[in-house]
Parts: sequence; structure tokens; C-alpha cells
Amino acid sequence: MIAQASVKDSYRPPYGVTNSPETILRFPFPFPEDSYMYSMNVEPHVRGGPVVAMQNTFDIDEHYVAECTEKARILAEDPRRCIVMPHMREAEWDFVELAMETLSEQYPDYFALMRDGANWHWTNRLLGLEQAFVFGDAETLPHPPFEYMARQMQGDFTLHDQREDDLWMDGGMVTAQADWSLKFDLGMSFRQWHAPVPKAAELGVFDRGLRFLLMLQHGKPVRRLNWTMTINPRLDTSPENYLVWGADRASVTPDNALDKVHLRVELQTLYRLPRSHAILFSIRCYLLPLRDIVRVPKWGRRLHRVLGALDPALSSYKGLDLYRPTVVSVLSRYDDGAELTPGILPDLAQLEDA
Amino acid sequence: MAKSGVKTAIIASTTLLTPTLRRFVLRAQGWCFPVLSAGSHVLLGFGGPERMFKNAYSIVSRKDDGSEIVIIVRRAPQSRGGSVFLHEQGREGLSVTILGTANLFPIMRRARRHVLLSAGIGITPFLAYLETLRAGGMDYVLHHFCRPEEREAFESLLHGQDSACVHIHDQLPGAAGLREQLANQPITTHVYYCGPEGFMDWVAGAVRAVGFVPGKVHSEHFFVPEGGQPFAVVLARSGRTVNVGADETLLEALEAADLNPPCMCRGGACGACAVTVLDGQPDHRDHVLTEAERTAATTILTCVSRAKTQTLTLDL
Repeated sequence: MIAQASVKDSYRPPYGVTNSPETILRFPFPFPEDSYMYSMNVEPHVRGGPVVAMQNTFDIDEHYVAECTEKARILAEDPRRCIVMPHMREAEWDFVELAMETLSEQYPDYFALMRDGANWHWTNRLLGLEQAFVFGDAETLPHPPFEYMARQMQGDFTLHDQREDDLWMDGGMVTAQADWSLKFDLGMSFRQWHAPVPKAAELGVFDRGLRFLLMLQHGKPVRRLNWTMTINPRLDTSPENYLVWGADRASVTPDNALDKVHLRVELQTLYRLPRSHAILFSIRCYLLPLRDIVRVPKWGRRLHRVLGALDPALSSYKGLDLYRPTVVSVLSRYDDGAELTPGILPDLAQLEDA
Repeated sequence: MAKSGVKTAIIASTTLLTPTLRRFVLRAQGWCFPVLSAGSHVLLGFGGPERMFKNAYSIVSRKDDGSEIVIIVRRAPQSRGGSVFLHEQGREGLSVTILGTANLFPIMRRARRHVLLSAGIGITPFLAYLETLRAGGMDYVLHHFCRPEEREAFESLLHGQDSACVHIHDQLPGAAGLREQLANQPITTHVYYCGPEGFMDWVAGAVRAVGFVPGKVHSEHFFVPEGGQPFAVVLARSGRTVNVGADETLLEALEAADLNPPCMCRGGACGACAVTVLDGQPDHRDHVLTEAERTAATTILTCVSRAKTQTLTLDL
């Protein structure tokens, strides 16, 4: 495994995030075909899939410490990035148990959990944390249970209550989002928080997706990939901070596009929580600059084709309009038109030198 | 036991509660039952050489270490034999298969007050509810209805509960003043009910009459799929024909034909087994489809529904 116990990346100016060859090859590239449209691309979240980033329940990579540090900074600046409604208390403990059990089982070098009845002892070696606490007693943790654990994980998490044949976003910690806000969406139903998404409702994707999720069973999590693009390696592209990052979209030129423009992929996983019957939605964000993507020839060619043919409504919704022509033009240099294998795998054992 | 993910359990002990209700303790063999939310059911596989059954039962409780769960089974003589099998042959040591657990009847955590109404075997999900509601310090009341001769058995089943919150009635709900009780509930109340069909119909009518909105009313039907006239299904994608016998369900017939159709609750409550009907008239017996969907007759829930026509053509 490749987590590093030091902060070396910067997700805000001056930006500095580097990806090792291993990190590039484990990137969950989201396009199995040369064109893209919304679909019910949901599959069981089973361990041992072909993409390394999908092989664990919650993926930890070399950016772990830097992302947790960035998350702590964002929460210090804006504590309301983490809100959990009171009726989700049991779901908070469900999350603590799921995260601690799976992380300690799957990454024994980094995390350890000792359980003696309700007396638990948690060790996080990457962040240097030791915590004895009583499971179920929030007073024994330094933060509320959900916040305590979500601070120690890469990615965003939301908690969804199920009632009236719908899912309601009744809690979460959201610090690495692609232009949406927990404060705004909190308390909304499935269709309400998806309302801004174009096309998908007409395709019936939301009706089918909701019906599917209402029947999600404990122990049978599911996953899907979603994507957008982000200028600069910035995790926090939130509406709250739009004035800070929004103008970056106008800064892309043919000369800087390879370094500035990032493909932003969300590995979204969903879990039925056993005590609360709530659903945990995990959004694990990966940022990879075009310069790293084109080191995998299949990915560079395919991204060129997907972006070139992208539906204008999706391009607009994802905020790509200002720079998409520039990116397509730059990527055309990496696309010889060769036929590509289906699927998202890099088809490479190791990278050529950059 | 844990061969290829099959989870087995044995009957660790069994107690007759009333002539028709039997309690079973199921002990996991080499694995643990997951933590369960109140209202969950278990899908149990059991049977003998002549006949295998897959039935869903509400889970009354789970031991903290996950080693055991408790269910109560009502002997239903008119059913296809699963409950009779368990009552007659479900002795200590019998091996059963745990096909899954799920919850179609969860507690609504935003409710300010919880009114639980049960009759007979309908008490089982609420035995789990009572633990959660009490532990969470929530505002609740249970009204349980039974026959006079069963009163003692239910008193013993509910022994140790808060007597201010738990009431047993050996008269009919109307005579016990349930309608007035419901009419006087605060508006933040949610009602949950479970029991035989006659009781379900009475409560459904009463809550509607006193003005509860549908979102605050929750129910679970104890539904044992019943047999009926044999019919045939044509599987449009393969052209195969599968015959459904008088005492088996469509789902069971499809499974016996080595198909692997989707399913979860096997009681017409979850909708997981919905299949598109291309031709023929379904005989809907589920609690999921809307009136419009029934009339359209383009979907069938294979776990409980049958056919009005001699043949159904399915998109399978």
C-alpha cells in the first residue's frame, strides 16, 4: 500500500499535488466507452474488482494525510460543512462501526481496532491518533461520532434517512464537493437534491435509482462512478467558496491546460446501515491532471472523444463550457483515432516516462 | 458450514407459546447475525427431502454477540406447509439456511410519538420495536389484541415491559375504543400496525377515518402466499414454458426451473421480484403495486401473484 504519513500536497494556492505512477494506474477512469450519457451504472461494491481503487471498502491512497489535513482546515473555516440531524444518531454509530471495522481489517498496518464489549480502542497510525471510547456513548469521543470518523477518511459522506418511500439527506460531512452544498441540500428528498441534473430524470434514471436504493440490503453495498472536471487540484469546489475558485474556469489556455485541468472522478459507494436502517453515501474524490491522464494512451484518446462528443446540456451542467474546446483541442494531439478496448482499465502494466 | 457463502443456523431451542404460536431460537453456525434494526425479517430456508420452503419471519430479538436470533412462527394450516413443517418438525438441532435479512418495516425516527397496534402473531415485529423505543427514551404505546384464551400467553410474552405503555386487549379493536384512541393522538404521531388481514383492514379504515395522512401510517402484512389454479408461464427471451403447480408460487416454479429471478421478502411486500408481463392477465396478490399498475397489468410480483389466464408471458 502506498499511504504516506506526511503532508506533502497542497490543495489550495500555491497548489502542489503530485501523483506517483502507482496512483495514476489505480485511478478509477470513468469512461468504458468513447461516449458518455447518464445511465444506471450501479454495480455491487465487492472487493477484488479489476480497478485497484475499488478493491477496498473505503479506499486509502498516498494523499490520505494531506486530504485529512485539508478537510480539517475547511472544517475549521466553516464548521457547518458537517451537520447531522438528531434523528440520525444511530446512523452515526453505524458509520463509526463500518469505518473502523473495515479500515482496521483491510489496512492493518495503518489502523487497529480493539473491541471488548462496548469498550473500543481505535488506533490511526497515519494521523497519530489513539482513542479509547465507549461505543454508543458520544461523550467519550472528542467529536460527535460521525464527525470523529469522517475527519479520518478521504472523501465526503452523507447520511440518508429512509421514509415515505424516499431517501432524505439528513446528515453529512462535505468538504470536497463538485459545486453542491450540504447546507443547501440538507433535509431534501432524493428527487429534490437531484433536481439540477439535466436529462437524467427524463431518462428515468432517478426513478430506477431510487427504487433500487430503497431496497439496498445490509452487507451488499453498491458503487458507481461519477465525474466532472476541476481547474487546479482543488478539493473544495463548493458553492460557499465559488468566489474563490469560479474564475479559475476562465484561466485555461492551450499552454497550461495539461497541468491545470483535472478529471474529477467520484467513486460513489452506498451502504445500508444495520442499526438505523439509514443509507450511507460515500463520495471518494480522485483528481488527476490531463498531464497524468495522457500517460495512459487509452485514457487520453478516450477522454478526447468523450469530451468532444459530450451533450451540451451535460457540459453546461458540469461547468465545462468555458474551457472544453481548449481541452479537446489539446487532447487531440494524443488521439490517433486508434480503436480502443472497451472498459476502464489502463491496459498498461507500468507507465512510460513522462 | 460456511461453504460458498451459504449461512446455516440450527434451532437451538423451541417453546410452544400458544397452540398456534411457537418460538424458535436460531443459532448461527460459524458466523454472526449482523446488527439488526427493529422491524427486520429473516428469510429462512428449511424443509425435508419432500419439500423445501423459503419463508420470511419477523425477528423478535438478536443476542448482542450475534450468535442467536429469536423468531415466532404461527401455525397456518391453510398455507403451503412451511409453518406446519416448523411446528411439527422444527426440533432442537434442525439445520436451517439463513437466506438474508432485511427491513421493510422500520421505525420512523422523526416521529415524536409511536403508536403500535398488533393482533395475534402481529406482535413479533413490535417485540423488537419495544426494545429500541424504550432504549431510545422515545414516546410510544402498544395496543395488542388477542383472543381471551391467548391473553395469558401474550401477558407472559410482554412481561417486563412498561405497563404504562403496553396494553393487551382480549376484545375487538372497536369495542376496546381504539378508534377514539387514534382520534385523540397528537398530530406528530406515527401509527404502525401488523396482524391478520381482518385486523389490518379495520385499522386501515380507522386511521383513514380519523384523518391520519398516509406518510404517518405504516404497516406490515403477514402474508403467506397461497396456492391456486395451476398455470403456465412463457419466458419470452428463451421461449421456454414453466408450469406453476397448484401449491407452489410462480417464484418457486421459476427457481425450480433453474432461473435466478430477483426476490427479497417473498411476501408481496418489497417489490424486488417485479417482472414485466407481456401477455395474459395477472392475479395480483401483493401489497406493492398501485391501482393504476394493477389495472395496466404489465407487472407481476412473482412471489405471491398468480394468473387469471391459463398462460402468462413474462419478459424473462
